[in-house]
Amino acid sequence: MLEIENLHVTADGKHILKGLSLSLGAGEVHAIMGPNGSGKSTLSYVLAGREGYEITEGRILYQGEDLTAMKPEERAAKGIFLAMQYPVEIPGVTTMNFLKTALNAQRRARGESEYDAMSVLKLVRQKAAALKIGEEMLRRALNVGFSGGEKKRLEILQMALFEPRLAILDETDSGLDIDALKLVAEGVNELRAPDRAMLVITHYQRLLAYIVPDRVHVLADGRIVKEGGKELAEELEAGGYAEVLKGAA
Amino acid sequence: MNASSAALDLRRAEAAERVRTRGLPHRRIEDWKYTDLRAALGDGGFDRASPVGAIKLPRGVEQYINVGGVVPRWVETYYGKVAPQDFLSDASLAFDKNFFAFRVPSGLQVSEPLDFELSGYGQSHVLIVVEAGASVLLKEYIKADGAMNMGLEIVLDEGAALRQVWRSAHDEGAVAMANIAVKAAAGAVYRGHYMTTGSKLSRTEIHIALEGEGSEAHLSGIGVLGGSAHADVTTHVEHVAGKTQSTQLFKNVAGGKSRAVYQGRITVHEGANGSDSRQTAKAILLGGRAEADLKPELLIFADDVKCAHGAAVGDLDAESLFYLRSRGVSEAEARNLLLRAFLEEAAQEIEDETLRAEIWLAAEAALPRAMEDAP
Repeated sequence: MLEIENLHVTADGKHILKGLSLSLGAGEVHAIMGPNGSGKSTLSYVLAGREGYEITEGRILYQGEDLTAMKPEERAAKGIFLAMQYPVEIPGVTTMNFLKTALNAQRRARGESEYDAMSVLKLVRQKAAALKIGEEMLRRALNVGFSGGEKKRLEILQMALFEPRLAILDETDSGLDIDALKLVAEGVNELRAPDRAMLVITHYQRLLAYIVPDRVHVLADGRIVKEGGKELAEELEAGGYAEVLKGAA
Repeated sequence: MNASSAALDLRRAEAAERVRTRGLPHRRIEDWKYTDLRAALGDGGFDRASPVGAIKLPRGVEQYINVGGVVPRWVETYYGKVAPQDFLSDASLAFDKNFFAFRVPSGLQVSEPLDFELSGYGQSHVLIVVEAGASVLLKEYIKADGAMNMGLEIVLDEGAALRQVWRSAHDEGAVAMANIAVKAAAGAVYRGHYMTTGSKLSRTEIHIALEGEGSEAHLSGIGVLGGSAHADVTTHVEHVAGKTQSTQLFKNVAGGKSRAVYQGRITVHEGANGSDSRQTAKAILLGGRAEADLKPELLIFADDVKCAHGAAVGDLDAESLFYLRSRGVSEAEARNLLLRAFLEEAAQEIEDETLRAEIWLAAEAALPRAMEDAP
């Protein structure tokens, strides 16, 4: 599904990713853990195609295709979804209208027929119920005045709606209390599927207690320095990054 | 010639004299710093012919056209008395001898809009008197194809209400000037929305005098500019009496090599205690060659007043663009969506749904041109 080979990335003249390699297969859930400043968010942005990041070496293959030259919207249409750490507030665009616009833009790009307003509404309602997202929230401007938990739930709703092949969750646990965390994790677990891969990026272990990964990678200073099973996350929680990184060096 | 007609002639002659002695405004005059009328007109100046007007008159509204005959008292009372005696208002007064005037009789609630279209070039002057407790919706569509100057005087008696929706769609090469002056008595309410796509040089001046206690003015506007369009909106709201209220919300999108100008002066006069004024002007620039000059200005000579103003010029938000694109929305569609979202707030100020939809269509239709790169 996703092959990252010796990836080097600079942003604002700073060398951030320094030879990152990673392989993620269909149906797998991998976690990327790392201290602040290790390059976690850079990795998520590079995968989603944000401007301002330059790949100086290495490559990213997604379903066998080189991602590098693709625009963000092309990646989305091909099934890549990034749940953002800080979803953007957009006044003047209602959440429902945004969902319809985005869903139909993806379908159009794939040569599929567009949904009419009624069909989108039905689809959204059906998916929103499980995430406890009410009609009132869908009528509000996108993310405007949403609590941290509401924003993250809306990200997961989009994931459920767009049905991506590759989902990247960037610090989805940040700013959530335990109830919201459980709700979001349940939403994510619902979407685990044999033809879908997930990359869960997080600083803390607590999300991984609910979304149990198949593999854990530790990112430090722009490289994967340690890999292991789900127990590695617990090890990190117990010993802290310094301890684990010392062992890796 | 009867006596009252002579009074009008005198006012016109005085206005003509002021135009002659002062001459065309130039950029050294502070209020004309951003809009070079002298350069745009060149040697041509304004033609004195009247532009072509088409009017749909709702039932009950009285119309007067000044082509000789008896001048009604309401025309004699107000004609030339509301206009601020600046260059634009003086020019339209002086040179449109065959001006139009409308009267909405006291207490009449007009449901059909007073529909006014003006096209061509030259000088035009219009007077509208809304008597006590009456209300009317004024729909104006202005399409200049040369040098045009339109003066509009609006009188609102006690408790009167006028809602104006003004849309311009000028030819690219037009020099289109407008001067709207409103005088509001106690409890009167004026709401004006001005939508423009600009032209070679366009300027809409709005002068509001809140003279009666508790009177209100609510101004809003949308500018969608592309190519090398220039659109200037200059407002002066004067809080003369106590407990008066004014709000302003102007939003501009400027692309290509266009220029959006907003100059908004609010004067709170001595004795206008307890008045409240709010003013917001924002512009989004597309590309590196468009320009916006936003100049809010507050002059306060009273106590116990509330004034809030803000102005901001910016680019489309990069974070928002990336967010939308990462969800599959194409760059062009994302830009369009964000621009519409930016403008929509100002369109919401239009109360009449049909007219709001019309203005919105015009704004949406103008966006692709504004989003084009400058040649």
